[in-house]
Amino acid sequence: MHRKLAATALALPLAAGAQPATYEIDPDHTFPHFMIQHLGVSWMHGRFNKTSGKLVLDRAAKTGSVEVTIETASVDTGAHELRGRTRTRDEHLRTADFFNVQEFPTMTYKGSAKWNGEWPSEVQGQLTLLGVTRPVTLKVDSFGCAPDPRIKGKREVCGANASGSFKRSDFGMKFAIPGVSDEIRLQVQLEALRPL
Amino acid sequence: MDSFLQHPAFQGGVAPFVAGLMVAAVLGRARLGGLAVAAGYAVAIALASGVAFSPLTALRKVALLALAAPLAGIAIDFALRSGRALVIVVAAVCGALTVWVFWSVLQHKVPAEAALLGGGAALYVAWLVVATMALSAAPVRAGAAALVLGLGTGISAILAASALLGLYGIGLAAGAGGFLLWQMVTGRTIAAGATLTLSVGLAGGLFGASALFLAKLPGYVPIVLALVPLAARLPVPPRFPIWAQAIVLSAYCFVLAVLAFVLTRQGVAPPA
Repeated sequence: MHRKLAATALALPLAAGAQPATYEIDPDHTFPHFMIQHLGVSWMHGRFNKTSGKLVLDRAAKTGSVEVTIETASVDTGAHELRGRTRTRDEHLRTADFFNVQEFPTMTYKGSAKWNGEWPSEVQGQLTLLGVTRPVTLKVDSFGCAPDPRIKGKREVCGANASGSFKRSDFGMKFAIPGVSDEIRLQVQLEALRPL
Repeated sequence: MDSFLQHPAFQGGVAPFVAGLMVAAVLGRARLGGLAVAAGYAVAIALASGVAFSPLTALRKVALLALAAPLAGIAIDFALRSGRALVIVVAAVCGALTVWVFWSVLQHKVPAEAALLGGGAALYVAWLVVATMALSAAPVRAGAAALVLGLGTGISAILAASALLGLYGIGLAAGAGGFLLWQMVTGRTIAAGATLTLSVGLAGGLFGASALFLAKLPGYVPIVLALVPLAARLPVPPRFPIWAQAIVLSAYCFVLAVLAFVLTRQGVAPPA
């Protein structure tokens, strides 16, 4: 499938150009998902619902970069009911115990791509969370570009899935370790658009 | 052992209480028993979130000032002549420091909201400093106010979604519990001084303001908590032994804490 996408994209006249191309991140199809172990027994899933940023690709030079800004208040772990408590889990995650969204409304990831063949295979970047910047490397599990069929190919869409992990304590988020694990696993789904 | 150290009841309750009790017992005769309260919340901060100051976030500024407060209190008790003017100056400085602490939050808000929240928090902290420092010469009253202000702030913070701030507040209360219990058991008072009261006013105020800014504490709850030091000034029969005075004064104050809990609960999760 990915080879097909790649072949399609390479067939695009403009895509074959030597200039770096800038793509705007599509917030409806870009979601940083995270997994965190709860009480040592299961990996809970959550995601951030609001993202923005850009992807820059130079296929001729085989270089690229990505910048993503994530609104921390958009954290969503699917637990929206109070169930007798005074706050939902997401409300707790927004406090200073975890993401401290009032003081740090956004977190950012900026990285540059390492290529393997026709497409990026890894992003070496810097994650800034809670005012702390640390390196976080993401493995690109899949990548592809294609004309957007929804508007008859008048724009190009590139998409990727990437994964990685980091320790939240490295960013000063230490509350409830180890009941809520120090390790956070990431699975990022990203799409970005560029008019042709 | 690790799981015991990481249990919230140990971090916010047992360890701060033992620290407060030991400080009261060991340093009480040296007029430093007032450090019991700071020992309580310092242990809670260290165990619950660790002691680090870089980057200097709002919560770390809170910890920094909370740890500095007893040192300033010692300086006032041993090197300066405490008087009304000094208390007002100290309170004004604490109010200004409150704005500094939460500046990184305030700058994300529109100016009118920032002015209201920043001014309100500064006033809250400054008032608590004035009201608690007025109890400096009354160790049982100061201990009762500290116990209930810590509990009221801590449990309200938990209800307002922040367990971490809850542990800070309960740690303060546990240290005050150690300070009070030592006096109740020995039947002798320990000097509170500014060492205790400035710590309670500044740290307690900042913990409450943090729950307001960084969690969901409704803005009217600190108004209720601000009355706790006044409740600790209500009369008790003069012939009551220290243990009975401590219980009665704590009970006076606790009425306000219960009101704070109810208002917080109603404010953050109103009944359907």
